[in-house]
Amino acid sequence: MKLKYSLFTRRQFLNGLFGGWLGALMVSFLYPVIKFVFPPTREPDQVILPFLDFKDMKPNSVKVFSWGSKPGFVKKNKNGSYWAFVAVCTHLDCNVTYIPEQRKFFCACHDGWYDENGTNIGGPPPRPLRRLILIIEGEDLIIKREGVK
Amino acid sequence: MNLLGKKKRAQSWFDERFGISGIVKFLREKKIPQHKHSLWYYTGSAIMLFFVIQVITGFMLVFYYNPTLAEANKSVGRIMTEIPMGWIIRSIHSWSSSFMIAFVFIHLLSIWITKAYRKPRELTWMSGVFLLCVTLAFGFTGYLLPWDDLSLSATKVGTDIPRSIPIVGVWVTKLLRGGEDVTGDTLTRFFGFHVCILPVFIFILLAVHVYLIQKQGMSLPLAVESKKEKIQELPFWPNFVYRESVVWLILLGILFTVAIFLPPSLDKSADLMAPAPEGIRPEWYFLFLFQALKIFPAKILFINGDTFIVILILVEFLLFFFLPFLDNKPAEMKGKFITFLAYVTIVYAVVMTVWSLL
Repeated sequence: MKLKYSLFTRRQFLNGLFGGWLGALMVSFLYPVIKFVFPPTREPDQVILPFLDFKDMKPNSVKVFSWGSKPGFVKKNKNGSYWAFVAVCTHLDCNVTYIPEQRKFFCACHDGWYDENGTNIGGPPPRPLRRLILIIEGEDLIIKREGVK
Repeated sequence: MNLLGKKKRAQSWFDERFGISGIVKFLREKKIPQHKHSLWYYTGSAIMLFFVIQVITGFMLVFYYNPTLAEANKSVGRIMTEIPMGWIIRSIHSWSSSFMIAFVFIHLLSIWITKAYRKPRELTWMSGVFLLCVTLAFGFTGYLLPWDDLSLSATKVGTDIPRSIPIVGVWVTKLLRGGEDVTGDTLTRFFGFHVCILPVFIFILLAVHVYLIQKQGMSLPLAVESKKEKIQELPFWPNFVYRESVVWLILLGILFTVAIFLPPSLDKSADLMAPAPEGIRPEWYFLFLFQALKIFPAKILFINGDTFIVILILVEFLLFFFLPFLDNKPAEMKGKFITFLAYVTIVYAVVMTVWSLL
């Protein structure tokens, strides 16, 4: 079927084509730029530490380990069991500390408090500290993200 | 031919190619109005003074500073202890940044209160708001560079705040940090912002800002403008420039005095695994925000306290940015209310800042 009138002029058509081409060119330039500025950083699936280092911990104390570029805490509970946390405040990402006398985690940046189970109990933190899965296998202490097999 | 004739010839040779005479003529004829609010006209050039000092001392510091995880703190220590006059250069750079920001705030509030952003100066105001953002970004990125415990925690918090912005927030945080967390990459990136990217922006924005001011001339306060009688004027060159240079000399005297007697400290190198030290705080100009983050509860109306603050800041920023358009009836009740808001802002900022120091 032939239209009686064209929907746009030849000039409009060519301008659209040219503009579209320029746009596509820009996107193809921008894509690598954006890829470049976001480096691939993934937190580790798991870290394996020698259990020997943690064997002699006193109950109700923590020991720091490297969870990627963040600190993690291995905590020995009063009953002798071990837990692992990401030692970073859920409010605005400051590193927390453990105060054994009060049995609480504390973030100095904006006065955030967590109880000994990592539950947020005071100040601005919106969520509990992140727990990690901790498995003791012979000589090894294996710390995993949740959901990793 | 005598020397004077040669000078004239050289001038006209240059002018034929460069066309400088128009600018010279403009500056010769530029007039600064005199009235009881004229004092505020000096704040702009005070900012410029501190900016030039920042550029010069920044060039010097960059000769010795190393923007890497292992070396940053050490290199600042070296500047402070080994490099001849290094301590005073860093001290001036650090103090001058505070002075510059203080004068940016004074400049901004004076314009808000005298309503100098009225038509046709809306774009001057808007370029000024961008300049404010870039200046604060300079302060924020510069604060990390010594890489001690204090600066690390401040950066962790500061770069985590955008995360609460809906949709794009996570990417903004990643872009600022160069990854999920604050690491050595963040330090190098912040150095890049501080010495490459932000300078480009500030020079472009300054050019626009200063051009607009020259194009439109000095703004008159409403009360002065509505009077019928002729306003006294002062020639920009040389009268006003001489007066400005008196102000500059006084400010330089104050700057050098505090820089000599109160040099900035340098703590031990930051440890990414160490808990945040007690008593951390950002630079003084972010204290009001710091205090707000501290006192806001974890949940407000089903959303996170910090998401609430971030949304509040974004809304306030937009209102602030479009202030010249919102304040379209400056002489009426609405205009008076907007001026009143400036005083509210001052009281709010001062109260929060003092509270954070208690």
